[in-house]
Amino acid sequence: MTKPVLIVGGGPAGLAAAHSLSTVGKECVIVEKEDRLGGAPILSGYAKLVPSGEWARDAIGGMVKRAEGAPGVSVETGATVTSFDGEPGNFTAELSNGKKIDAEAAILCSGFTHFDSVNKPEWGFGTYEDVVTTTQVEQMISSGDGVRCPSDGRKPERVAILLCVGSRDRQIGREWCSKICCTVSANMAMEIREELPNCHVYIYYMDIRTFGLYETKYYWKSQEEFKVKYIKARIAEVTSDGEKLIVKGEDTLVKRPITIPFDMVVHAIGMDPNVDNPTISETFGIDLEQHGYIDVGNRYGAMGETSRPGVYVAGAATGPETIDDSIAQGHAAAMAVLSTSADFSKTA
Amino acid sequence: MPIHEKSLIRPENLTTHEELVLDGVDVSGHWSTFIETRVVKDYNESLEEEIAALPGGEQIHRCWQCGSCTNSCTVNAINPDFNPRYWIYLIRMGMESELLRDKDIIWQCVSCNKCTYACPRDVFPEGVMKATSHWLEKKGHTPKSPSMHFDEVFTEQIVATGKIEESRTIRRFFARTKQKLAQPWMIEMVKRMLRGLPVGLLTRMGLATLVAPRTSGWGSASAAIQEYIDEQHEKQAEALNLAQLVETAKQDVAA
Repeated sequence: MTKPVLIVGGGPAGLAAAHSLSTVGKECVIVEKEDRLGGAPILSGYAKLVPSGEWARDAIGGMVKRAEGAPGVSVETGATVTSFDGEPGNFTAELSNGKKIDAEAAILCSGFTHFDSVNKPEWGFGTYEDVVTTTQVEQMISSGDGVRCPSDGRKPERVAILLCVGSRDRQIGREWCSKICCTVSANMAMEIREELPNCHVYIYYMDIRTFGLYETKYYWKSQEEFKVKYIKARIAEVTSDGEKLIVKGEDTLVKRPITIPFDMVVHAIGMDPNVDNPTISETFGIDLEQHGYIDVGNRYGAMGETSRPGVYVAGAATGPETIDDSIAQGHAAAMAVLSTSADFSKTA
Repeated sequence: MPIHEKSLIRPENLTTHEELVLDGVDVSGHWSTFIETRVVKDYNESLEEEIAALPGGEQIHRCWQCGSCTNSCTVNAINPDFNPRYWIYLIRMGMESELLRDKDIIWQCVSCNKCTYACPRDVFPEGVMKATSHWLEKKGHTPKSPSMHFDEVFTEQIVATGKIEESRTIRRFFARTKQKLAQPWMIEMVKRMLRGLPVGLLTRMGLATLVAPRTSGWGSASAAIQEYIDEQHEKQAEALNLAQLVETAKQDVAA
């Protein structure tokens, strides 16, 4: 048996890769910088996932349990990779906890970083307590406490969800669509209406990108069954009159300026490249693409190749990605590793 | 004026001071003309539900603003301000004040139902127009329309007798809409009927005018229909919160 595979990051992609490798008897080591596995869905306390509707702690928590108990999978939490040298089939990685790992290949499943809304000060985050992010609302729902205004704990009667916060915004150097926020927001709007039937939810959008089958399940369902209102307006600013938040913008469908009072404003924050990507790029000697995500090499031969042979990438490390696709990419990257491994491949 | 320009300047948003001196400069009259902002300040969140509670408006929530209704509209071709898509949007978003600006156009729908066939989402825009007209009347924004008077006269007669006696319908309709019965075309029509119709038929028509014909055994059917109509009216009044409206009006009068 040759050396194990180094998996950097224990989120959906990393857990999927570890599971794939384990099932065929290939050893792997998951290196996770946080104190536990699960990635964003667990660490950020997501509520129900799109599109399964399963609670993140059950769905991703189940993946964590499966990986932790799997034969051949070892886990290093609270650790990062500080150096990575060698050739395909013969790498050596040093960890921040002093351990050394000989690895046959590496799969980078280092994910993304949530956009920090402070970078859009005109939308009130950090100034007004009742301006929150989708992540915070996910936590309100998953904790069981319900959606409440942080300032005084009251039930909001009117909630505005602003889409594309930290996405498709050239002003702040984020030109990408984060792909999933429209669907997540539509889902969240329905969850709010379910918990608080008297609370009206408005979604302010530039375009709606509930792609593929999400159109029916989220976009239309939220309007037809849950009476969520969609208003085409890029909000200019969020202020306060001392009692309520005041959302200013223009309803572009009727060409009318609007100044509407709200109890709570939710930023549908996008996915930034992992803040550690420059370090990862240097440590592993791989290229980043123009936005700062890890660059994917050949897309049609093997899955998840990077610019360096023997180093693979999967999930939201490559760009904004859904949980389902991250998992698929994790499995695919594992397959790519196996296809070049002397242990398994008939052609390697 | 095309719809997208209509919003720009409205006469009621123009203010002019007859006498005004600013920093020693006389800006009286048109020199001080000022355009006030035309900002939407709030949404009426129950507006969509109110329209949906009236017959024809039930499917308004399905609209995806494609504009097929407006594009196929007979009236829009003549009056570009007649824009069903736009009103559906205003209703769904609760922009009541914007909707009321068009209260004198909305009734113009001719019920050709081209929009009904064009709509990809089965919104039934013609029904929505009807519901919106009724909403405007019920809320007191517009007076009762002649067609509403006609519908009422017609229905009342059916419920009462189970039959329609046209001359009675016409007489009552003219009375309620305060029109003279003896109009030149009416006189001419009656003259020609007297001249041309067989005597037997004329006699029967004359009798029917004097003694309203009634379907035999209609009593229980009439009661059942009336009960249903009352139920529906009650539901609508509740959905539109008309009791509150009456209460507010009373208070206004008292004040």
